[in-house]
Formats: sequence, structure tokens, C-alpha cells
Amino acid sequence: MSILLRLQSLFSIFGHYLSFILAYLFETIFMIVFVMVSLIAVIYLFRKYMARVQLRIGPNRVGKFGLLQLIADSLKLVGKESVLPRGRDDMPFRMAPIIIFLGLIMSFAIIPYGSLYWAGSLTITDSDVSVLLLFAALAIMPIGELLAGISSKNKYAVVGALRGVAKDISFEIPMMISVLALVMMASARTSTPLNLISLVSVQFIPYGIPQIIGLGVFFIAMVARASYSPFDMGESDSELVAGHSTEYSGMRFGMFYMGMFGSIFLGSMIVSILYLGAYNGPFSGDLGFIYLLIKSGILVILAFTIWLSVPRIRIDKFVNLGWKYLLPASVINLVIAGILTLGLGI
Amino acid sequence: MTEITKSKDFGNGWVELNIGPQHPSTHGVLRLKVKLDGEIIREVEPVIGYLHRNAEKICELDYYCDSLIYFDRMDYVGAMNMEVGYLEAAEKLLGIPPPERVQWIRVIMAELSRIAAHLVWAGAFGLDLGMLTPFFYCFIEREKILRIFTETCGTRQETNYMSIGGVYQDFNDKIVYDIEEFIEQFPKKLGVIFDAYVKNDIFISRNKGIGILEPEVAIDYGVTGPMLRASGIDYDVRKAEPYLVYDKVNFDIPVSYKKDNLARFLVRFEEMRQSIKIIQQAIKKIPDGPYFNPKAKKSLMIRLRGEGETYARTESPKGEFGVYLVGDGGVKPYRVRVRSPSFKNLSILPVLAKDVMIADLVAISGTIDLVFGEVDR
Repeated sequence: MSILLRLQSLFSIFGHYLSFILAYLFETIFMIVFVMVSLIAVIYLFRKYMARVQLRIGPNRVGKFGLLQLIADSLKLVGKESVLPRGRDDMPFRMAPIIIFLGLIMSFAIIPYGSLYWAGSLTITDSDVSVLLLFAALAIMPIGELLAGISSKNKYAVVGALRGVAKDISFEIPMMISVLALVMMASARTSTPLNLISLVSVQFIPYGIPQIIGLGVFFIAMVARASYSPFDMGESDSELVAGHSTEYSGMRFGMFYMGMFGSIFLGSMIVSILYLGAYNGPFSGDLGFIYLLIKSGILVILAFTIWLSVPRIRIDKFVNLGWKYLLPASVINLVIAGILTLGLGI
Repeated sequence: MTEITKSKDFGNGWVELNIGPQHPSTHGVLRLKVKLDGEIIREVEPVIGYLHRNAEKICELDYYCDSLIYFDRMDYVGAMNMEVGYLEAAEKLLGIPPPERVQWIRVIMAELSRIAAHLVWAGAFGLDLGMLTPFFYCFIEREKILRIFTETCGTRQETNYMSIGGVYQDFNDKIVYDIEEFIEQFPKKLGVIFDAYVKNDIFISRNKGIGILEPEVAIDYGVTGPMLRASGIDYDVRKAEPYLVYDKVNFDIPVSYKKDNLARFLVRFEEMRQSIKIIQQAIKKIPDGPYFNPKAKKSLMIRLRGEGETYARTESPKGEFGVYLVGDGGVKPYRVRVRSPSFKNLSILPVLAKDVMIADLVAISGTIDLVFGEVDR
């Protein structure tokens, strides 16, 4: 039973319609709180981890172990003036951070979270085509980046946006082909292979093992879509100042910042759902959500380690990587998936 | 900010972009006027002068002994080398040779300062390429050098340690012990930093074959220092025209024939190892004796008079640092002129960064090792 129906039955004394309205309202609030808390956790983890890698201490003044530092920072960002450039395209300029944040939250809504022991299933929405929905929601975020780059009428921002487009095109096709291979493999076991929950439930062996190439391609694509080093050409700070978000300040910039960290967390969750068996594990009926968090946490740390240890790749080299290596690799992976599904029947 | 326009002046749809003077990768206040064709850079024009402080003219208005602090602030990351450069000229003009012990002390301090300057460069170069972590490893090592400086002369960066005919204070046992401790552990730490860079495929792909500087071009533009040596010419003032006691220590001049960014990177790292070698020998050979020339007593310092003209060249971390002094017999120099290596090295940027991508421009300007105190003076 989904979280919505349980909330509705909780509010059932208010009558049929009102209880549904309240249930939707509370569900939304819960989800936004979850996204915010997970963002804060990821950014805190990043700061502490980065400090440890770089022989520093990291935030330790605000709250115990600096736990409240991020709340203080976001309060500061809210309080700051949001400078608007004079030559901007007003509506796209204001819309862009919101679009990015919207895409992030929509994607979080589609992910199956597994279940926690007394709370039951935490999945928010479910659909027979949730894989398609998820990638459609993911495709919203680059629109925000592009709009931000073009509407701020800044040369750095335009170059950043163009780089972002070149980057997105070169990794998204291999990414979708590797997802296609997964759906192909799942279709042998289930009648709804496009549903994320059934995609997880058929992973007796996590798909990362038979689909090791696909896992690699997909993880690279996920790091790239989160604009993490070495693939942060779009907002490369030493070349383009801040790329598409150059002209943003205040909380609008904060939204870009959160979008960046949110998308690495989201990406890690998607990788662990598609390839690592998400909430599967011993006692997954009670601890499923914890498994998902642990798996994606490990991937987040992996992405941070990559970020901290490699320089930025050049844009033409990345386009080469996308078209000359990732795309053939994902096609080979598709063939392997076909052989595994039809020939061996895994 | 400014609106994007396809200026009619260029005719071919190039976009003119201003990089700097406030930009994360311009190492201070360099401004680059760049003509972009998409991602490709067609023309670069460096615009300098944002840190111009008129140091040469101020030196002409000061006593000989007071000018030193302005030299500290030229190449502020390798300040000891600037002091050595100025004093080589000033002592020649005033006829006050430093005692033997002072010369060894100066060599040790100059080499420590050279290591510090190269470490700053190595960290900043990593930042230019988008590598955050090695920066901190470099700066922790540099911090140890700065602690030695603090012990020796009381300040960290703009040391003002040397003075005409001597140094501000003598080495004590603690300083010698600190230096020995530092040079003992440093090569290992340097190896860690070196591995963090060169064991990375992306780093190699960003630098190998990028920014090739032909030796003839380098000579034409007056490029010196590690940049010249990375182009295959083994010219180092310390060997070619030894000053202080560089002829009494045994060290090599690293030269690379690859001419690209990576060659400059490797040459600078090897130079740090050679500096360690010099310090190791110097700390053993340092003789006893006075630490200043009695002719330049502190009370008489401002009455030193110089006549004639002199030019002294030294090897600073950036290249050949020359100081030209003219004295008219008064207590103040008549003319002070500085040949700063960064300024000459910067002039090569439009040649190197032609028809490259923006990312390569940043990498190339990183390998030039610019310090704007010295370029603008």
C-alpha cells in the first residue's frame, strides 16, 4: 500500500475528498523535507570528506561537529541580495533555478525507496512506466541549465551552456542504451519491465554483475549529469568562472548548488536501483530503505573521491569519450544483454 | 554584464571575451582579451598594469638599504630570491662584499624560497586544471618553509631578511635543525604530490603536447627560467654566471626537450629536488664567521654612497632576474631598473595560446608561472 493511501486512511475522519487533499499535502511536505535533509546530509558529508582528504578539518564551529553549518549557510544565502543582471531575459532567468529544483524533486518522487520496518513502503508514486517517467524527469534539469546560460546574457554563461549541451548529448545516448539493456533483461522475468519496482524485484543477482559494462557507462553518465569533476566542463570554475550560473547570486545560486549535490545523490540512488539491487538484501522488508541509503552513500563517496582526485577533462575529449567509447561500449553491452536473456535465460 | 554582440570589427563572428582581471585562474590581476570562435581561441592579448605600484621609482626615492622591501613585494612568493637579486647589484655598486657565511646563508634561504615558490605554482596549476586536492598538500609543505622563515626573520612571506653586506640575524641551532629536518622529509612528500599529478591520465592528456614552445621562439621573446629549460636550452644563471657560492655546490640543471606543458611541469619539480640537493650541501659546508660586513653597520647604513652603474643577474624561481642600478654618488640610487622574468615570460602567451581551446589557455597560462607583483612592479 502506498504512502498516500496510508495517509488518506489516517485522515479519513475528515471525509473522502478532504482526506485525499490532506494526504497529498502531507506527502508533498514529507518528500520535500526528505529531499532537503538528504541534500544537507550529502553536502555535510562532502565537506567533511573533502576536508579529510585535503588534510583539513572542515566545518566544526556551528553546532556539534559543524552539523548546523549548512543551515547557517543557507540562511545566509536567503538573506543575501539576489543581483539581477540588467540585460537578462527576465522570465527564463528567474525560472531556470526553479526548473532545476523542480526536475530534482520530481525525480525524487518517482524513485522506489523500499520499506522501513514500521513505516512500511516509502515509495511515493508508482507507475507501470516509471523508468520512462524517471528519465523524463531527469531530462528537465539540463533545460534549466541551458535557460540559465542563455538568459543571463553573459559570455561565460553562454559558453558554459553550450558546453553543457554538448556534454548532455554525448552521454545521454549511451546512458539510455544501457538502460534499454536492463529493460531487455528484465522483460524475461516480468511483464512490466518498465516499472522500477519490478525491475528491482527481478534482481536476484544485482544487474551490476552481468551488466558490468552497463554499470560503468551508467555511472560515468550519472557523474557527468551531476556536473562533477572530471566532467564539470559546464561550470568549470577555473575557466568559465561559474559557467551557466555565473550571474546568479543569493538563493537562486543556492538552488543551483543544491541541484548539483541533489543530482549526485539522485544519480547514486538510480545507479543502485538499476544495477545494485536497491533495497534488496536480508530482511529487506524491514531494512530496505537502509540498504538503499547505504548503497547510494557508497556511490556518493566514490563520486566525491573521483571529484577530489582528478583534473577536469577537456570538452572535446569528453565528446570523444562519449561517442567513441561509451556509445560502442553500451551497444556491446546491449548485445551481451540480448545473449544473456535469449541464449542463457538469466 | 555586457551583451553578446558579434562585433563588426572582426567580421568573422568572433566573440570577444574578457578574462580577468577578476577571474579564478588569472593568478592575480591578469586581464586577457580573448577572441573566441566557439570554444577555440583565435587571439589573446594580455593586458597588464593592474598591480603597478611604481616600485622602481619609489626605490629611486629611498636610501639603498630601504629599497629591499619593494623587492620583497615583487615576486612575493619567492621573496628571498628577489632580495638576493637586489643585493647582488647594490653590494657591487656600493663595494661592500658580504662575508663568506652570509653567502652560504643566502644560498640556503634563496633555495628554500625557490622551493616555496614552486610549491605555490604546483598547487595553483592543479587548481587551474580543476584539481583541488594537491593544492593543500603543496601548501602544507610550503608552510613548513614559512615556519623556518618565521624563525629566521620574523615574517612569513615578505621576509626582508637580508640587508646590505649581511643578513638581519644569524642562523641559530634551531634553524639549522629545522632546515635539516625539512630537507630530510621533503623529497618523500614531494613524491606524493608528484604522483598525484603524473599518475593521472587526464592530467597527462591535458598537458602532453599542449603549448609547445620552440627554443628559437623562446630566445626571441627573452623567455628564461624553467620555461626556457623546458624548451631544451640549458641556461641557468646559477651555472652560467655563478653568483654567491653556487660554484661551490654540486647540482644539475634539469632540461627537457619536449617543449610542452608537461615538460615545464617536470622541470619545475626536478628543480625542487635539485634545490634540496643544494641545501643539503650548503647546510654542511656553512662556515663560521660574522654575519654582516662591518662596513655596513646598521647606524651607517643610510649614509652608504654609490657611484657608477651596475647590472646583476640572478636566477629567480621564474627565470633570470636582473637589477640595473645607477648611482650618482648620493645616498639614493639615480636609477633602478628591474628585468623581471615573469614579464618577459608572459609576452609568449599570445604565441602559445593561438588556436587552442579555453581550457588549454588556462593550462598554458598556468605553466608560465605568473606572479603579478613582478610583472607590473
